[in-house]
Amino acid sequence: MTRPILLIDDLNTAFKVGGEWRNVIRDVSFEIAERETVAVVGESGSGKSVTAMSIMRLLGPNARSTGRIEFEGQDLLSLPMEAMQTIRGNRIGMIFQEPMTSLNPVLKIGNQITEVLMQHRGMDQAAARAEAVRLLDRVRIPSAEARLNEYPLSFSGGMRQRVVIAIALACEPKLLIADEPTTALDVTIQAQILELIKTLQQEEGMSVLFITHDMGVVAEISDRTVVMYRGDIVEADTTKRIFRDAAHPYTRALLSAVPQLGSMAGEPRPLRFPIVDMRTGEAQPVKQTADTVRAEEAPILQVEHLVTRFPVRKGLLQRTVGNIHAVEDVSFEVRKGETLSLVGESGCGKSTTGRSIIRLTELTSGSVSISGRDVASASKSELADIRRDAQMIFQDPFESLNPRMRVGDAIAEPMITHGLVKRSDAQQRVGALLEQVGLSQAMADRFPHEFSGGQRQRVCIARALALDPKLIVADESVSALDVSIKAQVINLMLDLQEQLGLGYLFISHDMAVVERISHRVAVMYLGEIVEIGPRQAVFENPQHPYTRKLMSAVPIADPTRRRARTISTDEIRSPYHDAGYAPAARQYQEISAGHFVQMQAVEKAA
Amino acid sequence: MSSYLLSRFIQTIVTLFVMSLLVFVGLYLVGNPVDVLLSSSATPAERLEVIQAFGLDRPVWEQYFVFLAKALTGDLGNSFVFNQPALDLILQRMPATLELAFVALMMALILGIPLGIYAGLKPNSAVSKSIMTFSILGFSLPTFWIGLIMIMVFSVQLGWLPASGRGQTVDLFGVPVSFLTWDGLSHLLLPAFNLALFKISLVIRLTRAGVMEVMQLDFVRFARAKGMPESRILRVHVLKNTLIPLITVIGLELGSLIAFAVVTETIFAWPGMGKLIIDSIAVLDRPVVLAYLMITVIMFSVINLVVDILYSVVDPRVRLEGGSR
Repeated sequence: MTRPILLIDDLNTAFKVGGEWRNVIRDVSFEIAERETVAVVGESGSGKSVTAMSIMRLLGPNARSTGRIEFEGQDLLSLPMEAMQTIRGNRIGMIFQEPMTSLNPVLKIGNQITEVLMQHRGMDQAAARAEAVRLLDRVRIPSAEARLNEYPLSFSGGMRQRVVIAIALACEPKLLIADEPTTALDVTIQAQILELIKTLQQEEGMSVLFITHDMGVVAEISDRTVVMYRGDIVEADTTKRIFRDAAHPYTRALLSAVPQLGSMAGEPRPLRFPIVDMRTGEAQPVKQTADTVRAEEAPILQVEHLVTRFPVRKGLLQRTVGNIHAVEDVSFEVRKGETLSLVGESGCGKSTTGRSIIRLTELTSGSVSISGRDVASASKSELADIRRDAQMIFQDPFESLNPRMRVGDAIAEPMITHGLVKRSDAQQRVGALLEQVGLSQAMADRFPHEFSGGQRQRVCIARALALDPKLIVADESVSALDVSIKAQVINLMLDLQEQLGLGYLFISHDMAVVERISHRVAVMYLGEIVEIGPRQAVFENPQHPYTRKLMSAVPIADPTRRRARTISTDEIRSPYHDAGYAPAARQYQEISAGHFVQMQAVEKAA
Repeated sequence: MSSYLLSRFIQTIVTLFVMSLLVFVGLYLVGNPVDVLLSSSATPAERLEVIQAFGLDRPVWEQYFVFLAKALTGDLGNSFVFNQPALDLILQRMPATLELAFVALMMALILGIPLGIYAGLKPNSAVSKSIMTFSILGFSLPTFWIGLIMIMVFSVQLGWLPASGRGQTVDLFGVPVSFLTWDGLSHLLLPAFNLALFKISLVIRLTRAGVMEVMQLDFVRFARAKGMPESRILRVHVLKNTLIPLITVIGLELGSLIAFAVVTETIFAWPGMGKLIIDSIAVLDRPVVLAYLMITVIMFSVINLVVDILYSVVDPRVRLEGGSR
């Protein structure tokens, strides 16, 4: 076997916290061979990003690394800074998670590419520009030459990530370090970027160190996998073996919590995640979910022809020149005990739909009724009353709790304002609610920062439950959580549905989670529902091309089921139209009972 | 862009109108200028004559409309005291104030930005801490006191610099300026530094905060990962992003430097507009006060416009749009 490109031996990195050095990663050792892709996977706080940053020595003066990092025979840790600068961006390229912030907003794209070429390859301005065009071509950015003079703001997230990749690969590095490069991207764009990285790797013959939390991505891309947990490597092996028979209990726990698209085939009802004990590796048996849907009762939420548009104004007189058609002619209903998922990519209008339903965003037209009461025409006081029945849980549990309010008060607040309980009885009720969501009564006196992300989301759920709602609108409520925490919160939501007969409107971009939790699914694209129906029907027999595209883009957490894809540069289209645009009336075709698909409208020739 | 300029122009006109109305009514309420201007020995006949000459016998709204009508032709009225056009009086004094303000601004930028960058890059070093202490002093010590101390130290005791006046001036494009002669420059140094002190502190703090914030951003980390040397990261990536918030504040501060140089001008007997306006307020010389404030408003508007245009040049994310502001 030839020498590895990168050899990490006993790497320890410590951060200075309050005058003390605290180890963040301990005794990390692994190696990357030529042309090999190694994934480092772990949840937040596992030290996977710190490992990547330690290799590049980007952690700054508050961090200290010891051990050996040997790259092409050189020990990176003992190199002087100037020598390190000739390696960074030259021999080792790096991509970060956030394409929206990785590029300098006030510098033209072209300059951000050429500066690397001029720095490392000694090119002059003209040669560097020519090379930059070639690089943008290689990452499949259309009309590359013209785009060099644009600023990052005119690029979408996926396109920016391509630019970042072009910069990272500008000097033909031997190693590419990709730190969560697709986490912030939509799933179809993620598929494009993964495919691009794979293709470029073959063309260039480089090695890739891929940092991710997503087991699906790992299975898709890596040859070998290193699993990290709280700063330690718990397991390292070929990806196939990790997925087939992981040795370490943590790896097994992690894998069992990963929702797998297609794993629900034949299941009529939502299914809880098996929770595996992180120490023993023992799995608890999964409790079957009861049939909670009350099909015979009137629906608790009925949405008919909902339209929400945001006007775009311009000019001296602020005339409306166009509209963003965020939600266009959307109709559905949710019954007691039923989960309807709205799934789609960013900008498809799923969140706006959720907000319009309880009028956090004013709707343009259409009707919404919750428990038979009309939302669109409700007065302010009526609306407050209606909202008791429909509560919302948001994506970010860090931002949706007031940091200066004890969580007990946060949960009690809606009950007291609605006059449901007296201040004196509130405490007892808060305690009961906390227990219901799997926390303890004693936690009521704590502040939000004393909780972990998953616990905070439980607090948010408890707060939503405080008013005994019939419907909960969960807007990407589990998206920000680590995979094992996500599984627990979803199990909790299923428990609560059984106990309380809640209806959920579950808004998510994550197809695999949606498959797990829903009774029915609606796929949204450009503000419209393109396909809606029972979960089994939609997932096992997808009809609309967009639904199919979405599903084929989801990475599957199984290295034996890798798919070859072609690299497209399709972007998610904008729902903006000029004023006066009247969308064509959509026809739906019923495929099977309750499974409707939007008929392919023939685009009108302008 | 043209609709943007038009809307800004209309905004300025409206501001001018509202301001003139407020000042007119305000001054009318404060008192009668005739009482201040005439000596107590004046006869009732003389008094009546003056009142009629100034048009003060007519109702206030009529006076205001007369003023408006004249203002539209560019005539802001004659000073009650000097009996010269108010505008001319102010324009005569303006170059001195402008020069003082611009030199103070230059000092603020030339000293403030490098010190701020240093303090932002090495926030924990002893030098940075001294810079920050200095900036606190600059903020908190009253201008007049520092002015007096500076006169005592540099003029009275050391005798290095003159204490008052403007010194020798030469004409540059027909405008008298003092920074081109040694004598003028020596007269300019103390008052300009006195005026600049507060702004230096402000620029230091803003630059430091900006640098510290930008250094944390992803694109700086990415630039490091690209192998860019620190000097280039600072020059290209950090500085431009830091300047953006600075431009807005500096624009506003330039306006306030010009309009409120009063204290410094008084201490150093600088023959600028500030001195004139203080005197005019004291004797309720309405035309001068009005003219001064109108020029100030126009100046603020122009500076703000320049700032906004500069902003859109520096920051591609900002596009100038008509109306929506």
